[in-house]
Amino acid sequence: MSLVAELRTVLGSEDVLEEPVELHLFSKDASLMRGRPTCVAFPENAAEVSSVVQIAEKHRVPIVARGAGTGLAAGASPTAGGIVMVTTAMTDIEIDPANRTAWVGAGVINLDLSKAAKPYGLYFAPDPSSQSACTIGGNVANNSGGPHCLSEGSTTSHVLGMEVVLAGGEIVVLGGEAPDPIGLDLKGLIVGSEGTLGIVTKALVRLLPIDPDVRTLLMDFPDVETAAKTVSDVIAAGLVPAALELMDRRMCEVVENWLKAGLPTESAAVLLAEVVGETEGVISEAEVISGIALSNGAYGVQVADTESERALLWLGRKSAFGAIAQLAPDYYLHDAVVPRTRLVETMSAIYEIADRYDITMLNVFHAGDGNLHPLIAFDSSDEELNERVHRAGDEIVALCLSVGGALSGEHGIGIEKRDMMRLNFTDLDLDAQARLKEVLDPAGVFNPTKILPEGSRCFDYGGVRREMPDGVWV
Amino acid sequence: MTYTPHHIARFGVGIEGGPTSGMALAPREEKDLALILRHASERDLVVQVWGGGTHSGFGKPPPPDLVVSMEHFGEIEVWEPDDLTIVVGAGARIADVESRLAERNQTLVMSERPSGGTIGGSVAAGMSSLRRGRLFGIRERVLEVTMITGDGRTVRSGGRVVKNVTGYDLHRLAVGAFGSLGVIISVCLKLWPTPPSSATVTLDDPEEAQLVARPLAVLDVNGAHKLFTWGTEAEVEAHLDRLGGIAVPGLDWPEDPSGEWRWSLRIPPALVSEAVDRVPDGWTYVAVMGVGEIRAASADHEGAADLREWAESLGGSLVVAAGDPDLFDPWGSPPPALDQQRRLIAQFDPRRVINPGRLPGGL
Repeated sequence: MSLVAELRTVLGSEDVLEEPVELHLFSKDASLMRGRPTCVAFPENAAEVSSVVQIAEKHRVPIVARGAGTGLAAGASPTAGGIVMVTTAMTDIEIDPANRTAWVGAGVINLDLSKAAKPYGLYFAPDPSSQSACTIGGNVANNSGGPHCLSEGSTTSHVLGMEVVLAGGEIVVLGGEAPDPIGLDLKGLIVGSEGTLGIVTKALVRLLPIDPDVRTLLMDFPDVETAAKTVSDVIAAGLVPAALELMDRRMCEVVENWLKAGLPTESAAVLLAEVVGETEGVISEAEVISGIALSNGAYGVQVADTESERALLWLGRKSAFGAIAQLAPDYYLHDAVVPRTRLVETMSAIYEIADRYDITMLNVFHAGDGNLHPLIAFDSSDEELNERVHRAGDEIVALCLSVGGALSGEHGIGIEKRDMMRLNFTDLDLDAQARLKEVLDPAGVFNPTKILPEGSRCFDYGGVRREMPDGVWV
Repeated sequence: MTYTPHHIARFGVGIEGGPTSGMALAPREEKDLALILRHASERDLVVQVWGGGTHSGFGKPPPPDLVVSMEHFGEIEVWEPDDLTIVVGAGARIADVESRLAERNQTLVMSERPSGGTIGGSVAAGMSSLRRGRLFGIRERVLEVTMITGDGRTVRSGGRVVKNVTGYDLHRLAVGAFGSLGVIISVCLKLWPTPPSSATVTLDDPEEAQLVARPLAVLDVNGAHKLFTWGTEAEVEAHLDRLGGIAVPGLDWPEDPSGEWRWSLRIPPALVSEAVDRVPDGWTYVAVMGVGEIRAASADHEGAADLREWAESLGGSLVVAAGDPDLFDPWGSPPPALDQQRRLIAQFDPRRVINPGRLPGGL
C-alpha cells in the first residue's frame, strides 16, 4: 500500500492531503526555506500520531511536526520531504487550578491557553511575539521564549510533563504534577528538540498567578548604546524586571507608520520595561529603573497609566516583525544571545557591520536577556543583495559568539543555523548530541537533517584508549 | 588492585567522612580525571564521585573500587556579577560560593542549609532550593554543564547566557542523573539578586499565606506554617502589616530534617496538606507548599510503604535520601521509558563505571 493510502486507513481520507496546492501551503514555515512534502497529515490524538510514526518508519520517510508554522529557523520546513504532520487538531485544554497546571493539546494556540486560564487568575508565562498564532506544541519543540521570559524563564521552565510519541510509535507520559520525577529527565531533553526526538502530543504546563499590579515604562534615548547600558545597569542593580525590550529608531518608525502605538520616532532607541508584582514593589522598582535611565541620559520616561495604553505599547512591540513588510518583501533574522555585560559593544559592532554591507537593518530585541534580533529587510530575489545579507548575518553571529554568546536564544536551530553549530560546539560536544538523536530516533524519521550539521556523529573518538602501560591499574 | 606509587602520589587522598571502601583519588586537572575514568572503563572498575557527601544516601550503588574526590575542582572560574551568572567548579562548596555572592547581594538559589554540600553534588542529585515555588528548581538555574563521560570524553552543553536554545539540552539531562552520564566538572548557573529586605513570619492561620502574591516560600515545618518574603523595604513592610503571627527579620530557613532515615516525598502541590496528614507519627518534616516536595526524617521505615503507595498512585514518589537500601527500596516503582534511559546512559558511560545501579530501575 502507498504511504498516503496507508495513512488514510488510519486518519481517514480527509485528514491526509496530497493535492499540489495543499502541499505547497505546507512546504515551508516562516523561514525562507521551502521543502516538498509527500503529504500532509492531521492526526487527532496520540494513538493516531503513533500510527503515523509506525507507518513513516515502515516507509522510511521523514515526519516533520508542525504547529502554526511560525518558526523562523526552518524547523518545520519539510526540506527532506516526507509527511508534514500538523498538530492543530489536538486542541484540548484541561486546567487544574488547584495544582496551577494545565494539560494542553499540542495544537492549542499559546494565547488561547492564557485566555482559558484567566478566569482562574492564572496565565502561561512564555509569550512569543507570535503568541496569537503559535501553538504550545511549537513552543515546546522550540523552547520558545518571549519578552516575559526574562524573569520567568523560557518554555522549558514551564513544562512539567508531556505525552510524547517516541520511536516505534511508543506513547509515553513523562513527568507530572509532582515535582522531581525520578530517573533521567527525558522531558527536559525533548523540550527544544524541534521534533527530532519524538512528537509531543500534549504538555502539562505550569500556570502562574496573574500579578496584582504592573507598570510598563517607555524610555527613549539619544543612542542605542545608552539604552543598552541602561539594560546592563538595571540588571547590575539587582532588578529582574518582567521584561526589558529595546527597539531602535528605524523599528519604531515602521511600527508607528502602521499601528500608531505611541512609540517615539525621533529618538535613536526606545526601551520598554515592565515590572510586576504587588503595588508597593512595582512602584519602587519602576522608580529605580527610571532613575537609572535618566542618569544615563534618557530624554524621558513615560509610564503607561491604563491597561489599554499598556496593551498598545505591547502591540507595537509584538507587531514589529509584521511591520517589516512595509520596507521589503523578506527579512533575515538572527537571534544570537550575548552576555548582558557585552550588550553595548555588541550593538555598536552590529551597526558597523550593517553599514559596511550597506544593508537595511532594524533592531528590536529582548535586551534584558541579551537576546538580539538584528533584522535585515531585503528582497531575496536580488541575488547580489541576498548574498550580502547572508554574509552580514554570518558576521553578526560570529561576533556574538566571540563575546561569549550563543547561536540562538529562542528561535531554534532548524536548518537555518545548523551549519553554524560548529562555531558554538566542539566535535565532541556535537558527537554527544548526535548520540542522543541516535538513541531516541534509530530509524531517523523525526525531522531528519535538522539541528545537527552533517557528520556530527562521525567524529572518531576511538573509544577507550590505552595511554598507560598494562598492569599499572590492576 | 595495585597502583604505582606515582599515581598514588599524584592523586591519592584520604576523604574525611568519605566512603570506607575503594581507593580515594583527587585529580587536579580535567585530563587526569579523564584518564582515571578511561582506565576505570577499561578495567570495569566502579567509580564513586565524592563532593560533600551530602547526597550519598540516594540509590544503591555497589561498593566503589575508586572514589574520585572533586575537591580540586572547587574554583569560581568566572563570576560576572553584572550579568548574574557564575561558572564554578563542581567541587565548590555551596556555602563558600554563597558567602562570596553575598558580597554583591546575589544568590545561587540552591540549598539554604547546604552543610558541606557541593554545587556538583546538588546538580547531580537534582536538589532544589526551598525557594523553588517562586524561583523554580535547580533545573531552571543550570545554564551550562561541562562533564567528563564515563569513557573519558569532555562534553559541554548549554552556554554562559541566560537564554539559549542552541542544540539539545544535554545539561538538563545531567541534572539529577547522579553522574550516570559523566562526572560534572563545572557548571554555569543563573544567579538571582537578593533584595534589601526580608522577613520570616510564623503564621497563625495557614490560609493567610494567600495574602501575599507569590511569596518567596511557604513551608510547613512540623505543623508550623512559615512564610518567607523578600523585596524592597516597602514591600516587606506591607506584607508584615497584612499578616498575623510572629515575624522575625531575615530568612530563618529550617534545618533539613535529620534522622537515621531521610526521605523526599514528591506529590502534586494541591495535596501537600493531605500528604502531611499521612506522614507516619514520629517523622519530622519540612513541606514546601505550592510545590509538593516534602523532606522528612524518621528513626525507621515503618509506614513508608503505605506512603509510597499513595504517592505513586498520584504520579509522585517517595525516595529514600538516606537509610538502608537493603531494608527499603530506595526509589520504588521505576519511571517510564526505562529502556530509552538505559540506552542513553550507554552512550556516555558504556562500561557503566560511574555509580552503576544508583538510578531508579537499577540503571
